[in-house]
Amino acid sequence: MNRRHQELIPSFRRPISRVLIRHAPDYQRELGSGILESLKEFHLQVRGKTVLLKANLVGLDPLGILNTHPAVIAATREGFLRLGASKVFIGDGPAMDRDTESILESVRLREFTGPLAGVFRDLNLDDVARVALPTRASLMKELYLPKTVLGVDFLVSMAKLKTHHWAGVTLSLKNMFGIVPGGCYGWPKNVLHWAGIDNSILDINAAARPDFAIIDGIVGMEGNGPIQGTPKAAGVLIFGDDPVAVDATGCRVMGLKPEKVKYLAKAGILLGNLEVAKIQEIGEKVDGVRKSFSVLEEFHELRE
Amino acid sequence: MGQPFALRATRVAAMWKQTDSNAEFSFVKEFCVPFLIGAQNLDGGWGFYPDSESRVEPTCWAIRALQNAPVQVPDDHLRNARESLLAAQLGDGSWPATPEEKTGNWVTSLACSVLSPDRECKNSVSAGLKWLCEDYPRDSAPWRRVIKKFVPGNHVSEHDDSFRGWGWTPRTASWVEPTAFAIQALSDSPEDWKPKEWPQRQKLAIGLLYDRVCPKGGWNSGNPRVYGVEGEALVLPTGWALLALHDQPTHERKSKSLTWLVDNFANIHAPASLAIARLTLETYGLKLPPTNQKLPNLFDARECLRTTEVVSWTCLSLSPKRFWFPQAENAN
Repeated sequence: MNRRHQELIPSFRRPISRVLIRHAPDYQRELGSGILESLKEFHLQVRGKTVLLKANLVGLDPLGILNTHPAVIAATREGFLRLGASKVFIGDGPAMDRDTESILESVRLREFTGPLAGVFRDLNLDDVARVALPTRASLMKELYLPKTVLGVDFLVSMAKLKTHHWAGVTLSLKNMFGIVPGGCYGWPKNVLHWAGIDNSILDINAAARPDFAIIDGIVGMEGNGPIQGTPKAAGVLIFGDDPVAVDATGCRVMGLKPEKVKYLAKAGILLGNLEVAKIQEIGEKVDGVRKSFSVLEEFHELRE
Repeated sequence: MGQPFALRATRVAAMWKQTDSNAEFSFVKEFCVPFLIGAQNLDGGWGFYPDSESRVEPTCWAIRALQNAPVQVPDDHLRNARESLLAAQLGDGSWPATPEEKTGNWVTSLACSVLSPDRECKNSVSAGLKWLCEDYPRDSAPWRRVIKKFVPGNHVSEHDDSFRGWGWTPRTASWVEPTAFAIQALSDSPEDWKPKEWPQRQKLAIGLLYDRVCPKGGWNSGNPRVYGVEGEALVLPTGWALLALHDQPTHERKSKSLTWLVDNFANIHAPASLAIARLTLETYGLKLPPTNQKLPNLFDARECLRTTEVVSWTCLSLSPKRFWFPQAENAN
């Protein structure tokens, strides 16, 4: 069951991480082919495997600015199926609203993916297993996690490029908060806040490590994110098989310093590569797509 | 919900009338009740989905729906369910979210509430209510309030911390829904089952609910304003809070929140929210606003999230004879 427990590799032994930035001006033009091409760059071994796309579905979003856009989710699902995956599930456990179907309806996910029966998993209500937390960064020793997350062969964190009023930024690592089941911990999953947001992010990602990360930065959010911020078009999608490197790149695209984001700084020690020198950029270069995202005053020191 | 269970049931039976829609009655009879009966596990409980492992929360909602259903449910289903729930209770009187867990949480309120009509459950419910009344959220502890007073700039939200409700998990913070469920559990239970400190807890909790109303009315999870930005209300917390406050005196914020729910009723597109919104408005005797969405149609059109709780809430809201939050006489 717990294939998600993967070895923590010290940073000096880690290979260079590859991160692909793809220019994507909107949610319509050639999104599917662009995402498939990007996935192919990583030679992912998913043939015959089950895949879970852990989307970021935080709330009602008729304008398509809060959540991972359904066009990106649907195109990614199609991409993995074309790469030979046997099943590609979509899932999330929204933190603030337990009516997950209301959120799905508001983002019109069904219109992009087709019928959701058997495809979408509400991770808040999944059967759970108790998992010991290998990093013990927070005060928690263990967490209940959804069996769907623990059971799939390949886990993809699909985040939105957003600032966050408590964590600084919310990208693929913070997106994994959504796997913690509301059915055990409530709406919101307040126990994580009390255990320390930054350290909880580390614990969750060490216990259920994403195999791949995609950030939807076509339209992101700046300011008082992750819900009450302002939409910010960045026109990019970011891909990679090291979620820490993907998030570090996402920060740099937002004009923020990843090493100043507390949980990312620690993740750079424990989970993946943060330094520019250990990230190979493929596709667009950060310097060519950088936008200046505003942050709350509390996070002023994140600005480059 | 302040009246004893038997009195409420009598009152409702006397005023019961057939709803305007036979289709809704048929839906309850031919889909909701068979779904719930079919989804019951051999241990007597329900999981969130058919064939998933039994958990306290869906078990409570399924029992509540079947207790109130307008069709006869074989006794052994409810008896087994009750036994399953009693077996899940922890030694300290609380109920846990999962069978392996040894710490109770907010589902204790649901279990107390659903077992409260049964005199044989007096000891269990009393123990549960005692646990609830002794469980204070940590965020509003007196020493924290003192520190907050003297630490400048620590004002992310603008809550009045003198009010205290309940959290989702023990020793965290107060949130709207668990507070509403705990108020209901106390309201549903007979007077002599409650610990002596309950009136004070209820008073603080009701104060908290009114303190957390969003500026435009209604409730979200419990953040009406963060960093000065107004929070938007959501249907489910609004419904549960209004139901918990149903027997309380008139209050401007309650009226404002009912208005919010009426105004937003036509924008609801999912069965869970529609069921609870309907239950709430009918309990308050308000006419349901026109909407293109009908609960049975939502289930016909989609099939992805047929959870025990959504089917239970739908069953409850479409059951005209329900005794738990009955339709007020002038509803519809």
